[in-house]
Amino acid sequence: MDHRNNKMGWLFTSPYLLYSLIFFFGPLIWSFFLSVTDWNLIAPTFNLVGIENFANALKSPSVHSAFWVTYKFMIIFVPIVTVLATAVAVLVHGLPRFKSLFLIGFFLPYLSSGVVSSLIAKGLLSYTSPMNVFLRKMGLDIDWLGTPLSALGIVGLILAWKFTGYYALILTSGLESIDKEVYEAAAIDGVTDRQRFWRITLPLLYPSLYTTLILAFGVTFGIFTEVYQLTGGGPNNATNTWQMEIFKQAFTNLQAGYASAVALLASVATFISIFIIRKFLEIWGKRNGWV
Amino acid sequence: MMRKSLGALLLAAVASTMLSACSTGQGSTESSGNGGASGGVTTIEFWAAPNPTQQAYWQEMAKAYESEHSNVKINVSAIKESPTSEASIQSAIAAKSAPTMSENINRGFGAQLADSKALVPLDTLDGFQDIVKERNMNSTIEPWKFADGHQYVLPIYSNAMLFGWRLDVLKELGYNEPPQTYSEIVELTKKLKDKYGDQKYLWAKADLADPTAWKRWFDFYMLYNAASGGNKFIEGSRFTGDRKAGEEVLAFMDDLRKANGLLARQVTDPFENGVGVFTDVGPWTFTTWKEKYPNLKYGDNFALTMPPVPDGMDPKDSKTFADTKGLVIYASATKEQQAAAIDFIKWVYSDAANDAKWFEQTNLPPARDDLKTNDSFKAILDKQPELKPYAENVPNAIPPMDNAKYNDLQTIIGTEAFNKVVKGQISPAEGWANMQKAIEGALQ
Repeated sequence: MDHRNNKMGWLFTSPYLLYSLIFFFGPLIWSFFLSVTDWNLIAPTFNLVGIENFANALKSPSVHSAFWVTYKFMIIFVPIVTVLATAVAVLVHGLPRFKSLFLIGFFLPYLSSGVVSSLIAKGLLSYTSPMNVFLRKMGLDIDWLGTPLSALGIVGLILAWKFTGYYALILTSGLESIDKEVYEAAAIDGVTDRQRFWRITLPLLYPSLYTTLILAFGVTFGIFTEVYQLTGGGPNNATNTWQMEIFKQAFTNLQAGYASAVALLASVATFISIFIIRKFLEIWGKRNGWV
Repeated sequence: MMRKSLGALLLAAVASTMLSACSTGQGSTESSGNGGASGGVTTIEFWAAPNPTQQAYWQEMAKAYESEHSNVKINVSAIKESPTSEASIQSAIAAKSAPTMSENINRGFGAQLADSKALVPLDTLDGFQDIVKERNMNSTIEPWKFADGHQYVLPIYSNAMLFGWRLDVLKELGYNEPPQTYSEIVELTKKLKDKYGDQKYLWAKADLADPTAWKRWFDFYMLYNAASGGNKFIEGSRFTGDRKAGEEVLAFMDDLRKANGLLARQVTDPFENGVGVFTDVGPWTFTTWKEKYPNLKYGDNFALTMPPVPDGMDPKDSKTFADTKGLVIYASATKEQQAAAIDFIKWVYSDAANDAKWFEQTNLPPARDDLKTNDSFKAILDKQPELKPYAENVPNAIPPMDNAKYNDLQTIIGTEAFNKVVKGQISPAEGWANMQKAIEGALQ
């Protein structure tokens, strides 16, 4: 029976395995090959350059900035989106009716085009926008996209606006799955609202929170559209993400080999970072007895 | 056994579905992929610029050509912008699904493609010299010759980039016409700031502080070409920049910054809304202005001039940057397709009326020597007088460099010199020296 189940298991997972083989494993091998060449994908000839592309990438200031910018976005984006998503989830969960309607409303930004939201942000941040005219009257003249910290903050906020509804959806389903009897028992025991959140809700929400945190950390390694549209990676590479760097090298400088080396370095950085973050989250859960 | 067969069948079905989804469709039919020849009909794929006007123009031309040449079929489609047309072309070449020909190719990208042997040297095809002669473009095409002596791109249009001035604001400051030299402009800036404070700037444009390579075409190169009399900056793989002219340009920007005349910030349509009184203007702008800013009238509240020049130089000798793009034929096309493509180009440009139609529909001045003198264009220029200065200055416009590393090199201009001077982070002389050193390093 087990043997037969195994076969059926392989059969049903085969579409995904095949998909991974074609669209993940194949391109990965291709990328490894490209990374040791000086090929631009269109020239009829190329040279094998060994690890030269990797060595150059490791020395490149723009690759260094891509590495650090990702963590800067993490520091800005992850706390904001987590707090907002949790707040939305708690609010929606507490609604007596129309929960789905509100959740869909919050989810809509996730479906919106990054290009459109970036253009709207550009308009809002224009020197002549009502907000900036007002701020200047108050004595605040801020170059939102021309200052490294505010440019990072703006992109981080746009991403948080976009992903809050999506993560709130996951967290709401987590909240919905918590048995009401637990709260009723706690109420009988006289727990405060604060204790209720920290001692009951958060521990039981931990699996959902773990998922959203991992997803949120992952997002920071793939930022492209908002940065491409709003800052182009500037000012002074302050918002130059891995994806921007790969795009610039591959499609603007026509250095596909070098771009592949950068992409592989980005993959390694992503893998190691997510691995470490996962471990921290698991330790956090275990220490508190949530898992 | 039955289950095994069922499993294998399912796996095969899934695999074939996924693999067919990956197919580019090449080689399946005569009209697929990058075209081909079948049944005596040569099919060519033409990728037009990603805007409806140019796409419609080429579709019209293709239809007219097909009606006279039943042995050729031309499929016109817009280049996808994912996220740029250059990236789409590169991806298509890499995926072996490049078109036969495309337009919208600037000289720098043309150099990158030519360097990778992705383009056909047009001068090696029969009929190319006829096009140059019949289109009357001997002088215009001359600077398009690449370092290896070949012509890879046939320029379609050439915008001699001009500077726009808000005449209404200038008149308020006591000027009847725009100033033309650096010191006159700095003086105007001081008057502007005295009157308007932070309400108005001389040049309000976020791109001034942005190192993106192509943005230098519309600030640094316009000023530099004017100051240097059209110096080539880079010839082949050698830096040949005119230090004196370059430092004068940077010093001019520095003076404007010191006078608080620059606003390198995100502003919605700064010139149109009067936040800036001076900016680079291309002829494509006028269509948008007619719809969005109908109050802007040439000669009434805005004027167009060639770039300003350093003191002591005659403004009449000013040169500018040529925003110019052209047609290429890809090396991956078959000989039949290449021959059909060049014949199509020859047919289009053998009649000046087709260029006139282009000019009328796109506002982009055709790249030909007789734009001012040929009667075919007179009616258009009379109807749209704002296009006249563009037509007049086609011979004074310098096309971009033909170096395959143009993107890196132009980024350096921004990061080492222009952007830093605009932000007040470096002196003009130091900026030029750093830029020269970095460019020479990149050229090696």
